[in-house]
Amino acid sequence: MTTPLTLTPSRRPDGATLLTVVGEIDMSNTDSLATAIETTEGPLVIDLTAVEYLDSAGLSVLFTHTDRIELIASPLLAPILNISGLADLTTVHGLDTPES
Amino acid sequence: MERSRDAEPEPEATAGSGVFAAEAEVGRDLAEVDWTSTPLGPPARWPQSLQTAVSILLSSRFSMWMAWGPELTFFCNAAYRRDTLGHKYPWALGRPAHEVWAEIWDDIGPRIDTVMTTGRATWDEGLLLFVQRSGYAEESYHTFSYSPLRDDDGAVVGMLCVVSEETERVIGERRMATLRDLGSDPSVVRTEQEMLTFSDRQLGRNLKDLPFTLTYLFQPDGSAKLAGTTGIPGGHANAPAALPGSGGVWPVEEPAHGESVLVPLDGAPFTGLPTGDWSEPPVQALVVPLQHSGSAPYGFLVAGLNRYRVLDDSYRGFVELVAGHLSAGIASARSYEEQQRRAEDLAELDRAKTTFFSNVSHEFRTPLTLITGPVEELRARLADADAPVREELDAIHRNALRLGKLVNSLLDFSRIEAGRMRARYEPVDLAEVTAELASVFRSAVDKAGLEFDIACSPLAEEVYIDRGMWEKVILNLLSNALKFTFDGSIRVTVHGEGAHAVVEVADTGIGVPAEEMPRLFERFHRIETARSRSTEGSGIGLALVKELVALHGGTITADSTEGEGTCFTIRVPFGGTHLALDTLVPAEGGRVASAADPYLLEALRWLPDEAAGADERTAATAAGTVTSGHTSGPVVPTRILVADDNADMREYLTRLLHGGGYRVDTVDDGLAALQAVRADAPDLVISDVMMPGLDGLTLVTTLRTDPRTSSVPVLLLSARAGQEASIEGLRAGADDYLVKPFAAAELLARVRANVELARLRNHQARWRAALIDSLQEAFFVCDESGAVIEINTAFTDILGYAPEGLPYSPVHPWWPDADSDPEAHHQVSEAFAQLLGNPKGSYTIPVSHRDGHRLWVTATFNHAHDPDTGRQVTVGTFRDVTAEHYAIQRKSAQAALSMRLTQATSLPEALAGVLAELKHLWRAERVLAAVAAAGQETSVTATDADLRWQDLPADRRDKLTAWLDRPPLTPVDDDTGAAIAVNHPEGAMVVWIDFGAHRPFTDEDQLLLSLLAGQLAQGLARAHQIDQQRETAIALQRAILGPSNLPDGFAVRYEPATQPLEVGGDWYDTVRLQDGRIGIVVGDCVGRGLEAATVMGQLRSACRALLLQDASPAQTLMALDRFAAGIPGAVCTTVFCGVLDPDSGHLTYSSAGHPPGILAHPDGTTLLLDEGRSIPLAVRPGRHRPESACTVPARATLLLYTDGLVERRRRPLTAGIIQAGEAVQEGRDAAIDDLATQVMTRLAPADGYDDDVALLLYRHPAPLDVAFRAESSQLAPVRKALRSWLDQCELPPHTVQNILVAAGEACANAIEHGHRDAPGDTIRLRAEALVDDLRLTVADTGRWKTPRPDLNTHRGRGVALMRALMQQVTITSGAAGTTVDMHTRIA
Repeated sequence: MTTPLTLTPSRRPDGATLLTVVGEIDMSNTDSLATAIETTEGPLVIDLTAVEYLDSAGLSVLFTHTDRIELIASPLLAPILNISGLADLTTVHGLDTPES
Repeated sequence: MERSRDAEPEPEATAGSGVFAAEAEVGRDLAEVDWTSTPLGPPARWPQSLQTAVSILLSSRFSMWMAWGPELTFFCNAAYRRDTLGHKYPWALGRPAHEVWAEIWDDIGPRIDTVMTTGRATWDEGLLLFVQRSGYAEESYHTFSYSPLRDDDGAVVGMLCVVSEETERVIGERRMATLRDLGSDPSVVRTEQEMLTFSDRQLGRNLKDLPFTLTYLFQPDGSAKLAGTTGIPGGHANAPAALPGSGGVWPVEEPAHGESVLVPLDGAPFTGLPTGDWSEPPVQALVVPLQHSGSAPYGFLVAGLNRYRVLDDSYRGFVELVAGHLSAGIASARSYEEQQRRAEDLAELDRAKTTFFSNVSHEFRTPLTLITGPVEELRARLADADAPVREELDAIHRNALRLGKLVNSLLDFSRIEAGRMRARYEPVDLAEVTAELASVFRSAVDKAGLEFDIACSPLAEEVYIDRGMWEKVILNLLSNALKFTFDGSIRVTVHGEGAHAVVEVADTGIGVPAEEMPRLFERFHRIETARSRSTEGSGIGLALVKELVALHGGTITADSTEGEGTCFTIRVPFGGTHLALDTLVPAEGGRVASAADPYLLEALRWLPDEAAGADERTAATAAGTVTSGHTSGPVVPTRILVADDNADMREYLTRLLHGGGYRVDTVDDGLAALQAVRADAPDLVISDVMMPGLDGLTLVTTLRTDPRTSSVPVLLLSARAGQEASIEGLRAGADDYLVKPFAAAELLARVRANVELARLRNHQARWRAALIDSLQEAFFVCDESGAVIEINTAFTDILGYAPEGLPYSPVHPWWPDADSDPEAHHQVSEAFAQLLGNPKGSYTIPVSHRDGHRLWVTATFNHAHDPDTGRQVTVGTFRDVTAEHYAIQRKSAQAALSMRLTQATSLPEALAGVLAELKHLWRAERVLAAVAAAGQETSVTATDADLRWQDLPADRRDKLTAWLDRPPLTPVDDDTGAAIAVNHPEGAMVVWIDFGAHRPFTDEDQLLLSLLAGQLAQGLARAHQIDQQRETAIALQRAILGPSNLPDGFAVRYEPATQPLEVGGDWYDTVRLQDGRIGIVVGDCVGRGLEAATVMGQLRSACRALLLQDASPAQTLMALDRFAAGIPGAVCTTVFCGVLDPDSGHLTYSSAGHPPGILAHPDGTTLLLDEGRSIPLAVRPGRHRPESACTVPARATLLLYTDGLVERRRRPLTAGIIQAGEAVQEGRDAAIDDLATQVMTRLAPADGYDDDVALLLYRHPAPLDVAFRAESSQLAPVRKALRSWLDQCELPPHTVQNILVAAGEACANAIEHGHRDAPGDTIRLRAEALVDDLRLTVADTGRWKTPRPDLNTHRGRGVALMRALMQQVTITSGAAGTTVDMHTRIA
């Protein structure tokens, strides 16, 4: 049994693919995250705003696709994205909200 | 080896006699006692304690008895049998003590009662007891101690008596005191009555040994007259004033013949006899003669005898010594009286002497003439005879001349007095006649070494003189001058002065004291001078000169200055007109100095003999010895020293005494006599009273004041009697006094009597020395420097140092060695300072016997002045108190051991304490106990804490193992220590005292070790019981409190009051309620002990049940009120009851009189839960109870407790509560369980809690503790639980997120490793929030690899993330798994 995770792909108005992730990402479900990313092509925006937990396993998946993804994340994930250095390799939106 | 063979038990006589094996003889008799008929029953069933006591008793060489059980059944050992029990043995064994000692039970019964009821030992020194051990009530003295004997349970069930009998000492000292007092009269001579009165006074002070005495003296008619009594009233029917020679109430004939008689006093005529110091009168009296040396006894002494002592040699000897003393006193007094009477008679005689001589003197002339004439002829005829013959003839000749001169002088007097002096005055040239006369003396003056100056110029006129008379005038004056002049000159001058011729005879002699000048010419008056060539003289010379000069019509005067000289001046008128015509005759020019010979010869005898020269005096002193040639003389010849300035008398006495068989030494003056006596005391000194230099009286006085010579008898001889000082000789201490002339036979008789008397007296002196020697106490005399200069036999007996080694200078050889025993050395050195510094005192010190063994002595000393030297001396006595010392040491050692044993709370502690005590007691290097428990390796307890059995050398191990099999309580010692086998509850034990070096292990030590080991065995048995009881009690307590399965976040403590055996009435409890809440109870029942614990157990269970039924604290307590009302002892129990929601921290509570809970907030403030309060349980059942509520905020700590934690004497409760709050606040950073320990420690009083303490702590929220399978699917639920717990901790969201990620990484790591090695294994996550710190632990059973990002990038990233998110990360990897420990600050 894996940690519940909802992955909803959609198309953004600018044509980029948008993957909206809801739930918690840990090693039990990174495979489904990876599959979801790999089934898209071209620039990908991953919306992690509704992700309440992201660990290094999830980060590893994201790291393999840094060349084509951008991220949208809540300030909750800011520390891990900054510390891991992912924020340096991709564009992360949404971290600068006043609450962080 | 010798010792061990001795210690081997005899073959057992009967079954069950093993307990008696320690000693063969008494042991056998004890074994034969029919014990089944005594309350003690058969020995096989005796308790260990009784067997121990009997073993100690029998193995001891000290006199002991003991009593055991309800009838105080009697046991004793061989020493006691020998010393005290007498013919009661073996009858006494196994009998009730009050039967055995029925006759003294009144004395000892109360003492034994004291021991039995109080358990305290008694101590009696020299107690008088009348014991019936030899067939009669016997006066006896005992020093003893009764100590309690305890059974295996520690109750006093018997007593042990260690006793030493001191009868001999006490009675010996008492008799000695009487004899000493008898000899204490300072006056040398006194009357018989005075002497008897004094003696009776002394004897009357000892009415124990002499209940009464009667002294009878024989009368000339053979009857006996009562002369003294003690202890019996005058006029008593049995003390008649006189007894006929045939005897009466008391035998007279036997003592008259010098025999002693033992008179039984039962029945007539003896009635109403006095009892002395006793309650019953004597049953025997001893009649002892008062012996008189060489004659019939003086009388006899009747001594009533102490009925409580048998008349043994010592008692008989004592009575005889008393009688001997009385005899000597009577002899001395009678001799004194006789001498006094004689002296008075002689004085009377002297008064008649002049008259007598005047009347008879001329009658002497005929026999004198008939002596001198034939002697002169004989001398001429025997000129060639042997020297002795000639010497004797010369002596006769000289003394005949002297006697003639004396007779002539007396005759002249009588003639003058009778007016019948026929003078014939012829005219002479006085200068020429005088010069001629003077020149006769020249040879004598020259020989005396004096200048002789004769200045006689011819006179203008003639002087009429009677030549014979004038000769006497001049010769007397010259003789006088020579006698008193030792240096300088004698001068004779004649010159004219007006109508007179003046003749002066001047000397540079000793002179005449001014006060004597008026009596200078008095007849028979002699001037006492300090110094003269001879003390001989009749005292008539100058008187005669004066009379003779007066006959010539002249005068004589004297001028004298003491120390310068004397000058006699004679004035005689020229011419003859003043003389009767019929007395004048023409000048004859007759023979000169016809009467000069006697004067000259006499004067020459004063001077040293020309032939012997200057050595003569010393020869007379040192070598003037004539030894008796008599073979029938005494084996050791009696030595007599003769001191007389008259050479003839010396020679005469020498001949006389020589003939009597004596060895004689002669000296010619008092000083020489003194020197000779001091050099080598003779048996008797015969001394002339009148001697130049030192006279006889002074000689006697000087001899008497010097202890070395005070006992030398002196017989004084004097030609003088009748003067005021005639009995001075006896007063000065002379033993006898003989007046010249004396018969040779009388002299010899007196000499013999005095020598014998002196022997008797010396016997007394020797006996006195023997007295000192026979003192049981050691006696010593120290000089100013502290050197011991005199000791007695007891001194040598006690210390081993003999008189031959005297003097013993400090540091004395008996001082303990400063190196090996500095403490004892210091003690002695302090005592010695006291001895020198204080005038008197006493001390008890350790000393070393010459053979090295240790003694304890108690010494008493006094400063005194040595009458001989006038210097300060110290006289002291001491006695051996080693036994007493060790008895006290035993008592205190037993007490100390007992203290150790009672204070110990466990067997190991008891044993360790005892070993330490033994080490201290014997000042040992170490003490160890080896225990061989069945089936286990030998274990060791030692004063060196770390010592193990394996550490001991093999030979020591072998020795100890061998000793384990020895009979218990029998000490054994080897080169370096002593050991004893003791029963241990777990098996055999041997205790070894290691001295570290060779040291004597004495009988005393052995006894002490046996006693202590016996005590130890019992103590260990008791401690063992206590151990078992305690274990039971603790198990019980734990059972009541329950092995509480505490909910998370709680910590509890229960501390019983200091006494470890007590269980208490305090409790704590937590109850998990069905809705997830937790019931919390802390309560305190009144009282302590098992009863309180029982009540507590019921209340605890009831409270638990009530909470489960209705989770309301107030309702629960109200129900508990009703419950408690029905339980005795539950009333007034205080309880804090609360219900906690562990998620929200919400707490409802109610308190039944319990101290308020303390809530410590994370911000450092403290809240007291003092609402919801009401009265303690069951005080008012049915009364409504309030309830209150509060919230325990995150990371706050709740403390509930019982009053034992905070209540202290003399301190308000609030102070304790504040202190408890502070303790909790201080421990905010500690884990909850550590905090519990900290609070208990911090609040504990110095000597432990004196009341029970129950304590309960809760910190909110409770730590999270999750265990899950190592599967990734578990991550989400775990994360959820952690997130929920973190929320309870009220942390900011980003902190929560950081912690979640770090924890997630750790868990993910663990799952990966868990997966790989053992899928499905458990991983444990634990999180605990402190006030400002959060601790997170993830533990798995796998082994991690060092992160290698190149191989597994995301795992390496995980660890990096943990480190980045948490403040401290520790990863500990081991065989059992890996633990990740993470901290982060959360404040």
